[in-house]
Amino acid sequence: MPIKNRFAETHAEITGWRRHLHTIPELMFDVHQTAAFVEEKLRAFGITDITTGIGKTGVVAVIEGKTNTSGRTIGLRADMDALPINEATGLEYASTIPGKMHACGHDGHTAMLLGAAQYLAETRNFDGRCVLIFQPAEEGGGGGNEMVKDGMMDRWQIDEVYGMHNMPDYPVGEFAIREGALLAAADEFDIQIVGQGGHAAAPHEAIDANLAAAHVLIALQSIASRNVDPIKQVVVSVCTLRSDTDSHNVLPQKVRLRGTVRTLDDDVRDLAEARVRDIVTHTAAAHQCTAEIIYDRGYPITVNHAENTVFAADAAEKVTPGVWRDTPPIMAGEDFSYMLNVRPGAYMMIGNGDGPTVHHPMYDFNDEAIPAGCSWFAEMVETRMPAA
Amino acid sequence: MPVKNRFAEMHDDITAWRRDLHEHPEILFETHRTSATVADKLRAFGCDEVVESIGRTGVVGVIKGKLTASGKVVGLRADMDALPINEETGLAYASKTPDAMHACGHDGHTAMLLGAAQYLAETRNFDGTAVVIFQPAEEGGGGGREMCKDGLMERFGIQEVYGMHNWPGQPMGSFAIRPGPFFAATDLLEIEIEGLGGHAAKPHETIDTTVVAAQIVTALQTIVSRNADPISNIVVSITSFHTSSTAFNVIPQKVNMLGTVRTLSNDLRDMAEKRVPEICEGIAGAFGAVARVNYRRNYPVMVNHPEQTEFAADVARSVAGDCGEAPLIMGGEDFAFLLEERPGAYILVGNGDTAMVHHPKYNFNDEAIPAGCSWWAGVVEQRMPVLS
Repeated sequence: MPIKNRFAETHAEITGWRRHLHTIPELMFDVHQTAAFVEEKLRAFGITDITTGIGKTGVVAVIEGKTNTSGRTIGLRADMDALPINEATGLEYASTIPGKMHACGHDGHTAMLLGAAQYLAETRNFDGRCVLIFQPAEEGGGGGNEMVKDGMMDRWQIDEVYGMHNMPDYPVGEFAIREGALLAAADEFDIQIVGQGGHAAAPHEAIDANLAAAHVLIALQSIASRNVDPIKQVVVSVCTLRSDTDSHNVLPQKVRLRGTVRTLDDDVRDLAEARVRDIVTHTAAAHQCTAEIIYDRGYPITVNHAENTVFAADAAEKVTPGVWRDTPPIMAGEDFSYMLNVRPGAYMMIGNGDGPTVHHPMYDFNDEAIPAGCSWFAEMVETRMPAA
Repeated sequence: MPVKNRFAEMHDDITAWRRDLHEHPEILFETHRTSATVADKLRAFGCDEVVESIGRTGVVGVIKGKLTASGKVVGLRADMDALPINEETGLAYASKTPDAMHACGHDGHTAMLLGAAQYLAETRNFDGTAVVIFQPAEEGGGGGREMCKDGLMERFGIQEVYGMHNWPGQPMGSFAIRPGPFFAATDLLEIEIEGLGGHAAKPHETIDTTVVAAQIVTALQTIVSRNADPISNIVVSITSFHTSSTAFNVIPQKVNMLGTVRTLSNDLRDMAEKRVPEICEGIAGAFGAVARVNYRRNYPVMVNHPEQTEFAADVARSVAGDCGEAPLIMGGEDFAFLLEERPGAYILVGNGDTAMVHHPKYNFNDEAIPAGCSWWAGVVEQRMPVLS
């Protein structure tokens, strides 16, 4: 079975929702208008079991199948939040809010899950329950974690969870997935190197925190180049380096380095943290400075469960032959990982075609992917809980 | 087909050959005794043709099947050379030559291929021609390259080639393989930094090559940590650092460094070849020194061809019941040269829980012989079956 016919009919309508959401991007947990739009649509589809305010501003809704002899509950998740980016697309449905933009396609994810919800509420051609999960704050707030902490999985007795993200530079409407680690753990460090400020003309009377910071930055390269097994993956990037002076003739007292560590394996994650701490502390000491390190573990590794990855890929194959079952891992992070840490499931990538990558001010979700994306969500429900 | 019964009968003989080779290790192309032993045995088995001195000290044997109507010619390759290591096993059949040792199991590889050759020459139960290839100088001399340069493939009409290596830590007699890149390209770096030597008490009158070279070592780390895609696999190691002076009070005129670059793709290899001289010359230039870089392409990436890999795995399954997925290996293997010339595949046979190859206590596990010989025989009989 290719794309479900019903989605060819609703394609224009779903595109309309997507473009409307694109005009009203909201950040982090402040997705009030978006959540209200989602709730309104779900009600219009005839769904009555709707709960708002899960994970602060998340929305959870239930569609019962024709029958429920299976006792199985499948969760489908989309994210609703936008990014603090000034849109530069010039589209007629571009963001109306300066400094905010749907630059990661969450507008498309939300619209596709709404489209699937409409179809599933119309047909109910499955034996079990489908739980729709619309989450806030994927982009750094850990909205998925908040929903899990609010007891979502137990409250709705969710057995398995599935999510989907668009993938630029991959054929539109085709799918890509891999078993195991798909997206990276995204940890952050915030380091302060403290020396002794002074006159730039008298460095011998100062302890130059700039120089110590430069040595730290270079020494951190050795985590990737010397410490981690070359067969495994790690990124250590220093993204910010700021001294506490902005002059030509003052050596700073303090320098701040901020950056991120990306890993696809828990052992590598532990090793990288231990090495960051050792390198920073000792390199600073070598230059007579002290170091304060804040190391925050961010989103965990997004690990697709083996069996559910096969289910997800098989469902995708019913929609299109274009299913890549061994796509390489991606060093970006994803907070669907929190849901996959507590329930079996899988995260699917759907091609967005050619165009700028996500988080770029010229990015736009590709509406041509909608029928395939909606079909996959619907197939997940209908094939995991086939009608009796 | 499990292990062939004939190899159970021959197990003691083949073990004795292996242990004889173990006692008489020979380095690089100096495999004169080994080559003569191999050639004598091949003649005694009744090979149709035995040719010596291909690739200096390589030996080739030709065994025609009952039928040759298929026109197929399959090459089977073993390596014969040992390593410059002083053996510490204390075995009754330990090396009799100081600083030479079969520490990579090539004694076992050669003995297993001899065993298979004997069986194939006895039974000839295939439709085509088997070419057994015994190469010198796998350990750094490029003996495989030399045999190819001597026209190995054309002269014997070889259409496909297969190779096998024992692997410590993998269950004894089990098999593992992977399609695509498998062993790394092993390029060699020679870097000379020339500055201006002088008195250590007057550094301002010198261009200190030790400081320049140290900064180059540090900057080379960024090829892995900043330039390579973190999903890909690469190693850049500086392995030797020598100042031209060994005094306490002389700033050296020159520093010479050696190193290696290991990659699993040609794109990465090209990138490293470009970045190494850029970094060396740029940093040296920043200090007024001169860098001379010799980037020598050594063994290429060893790439298993997909179809032949699947076939090799099928044969392994017929012998051992199963065939695992081998890991990527950052070591090099000059069978890569043969796989650049002809389609084929390289497989690992488990050596059990032994010391790692290249360790002075390593020993080839004779218990793996029946499985290894059976795989060789299976490659020939299943690739060129006698159709009834």
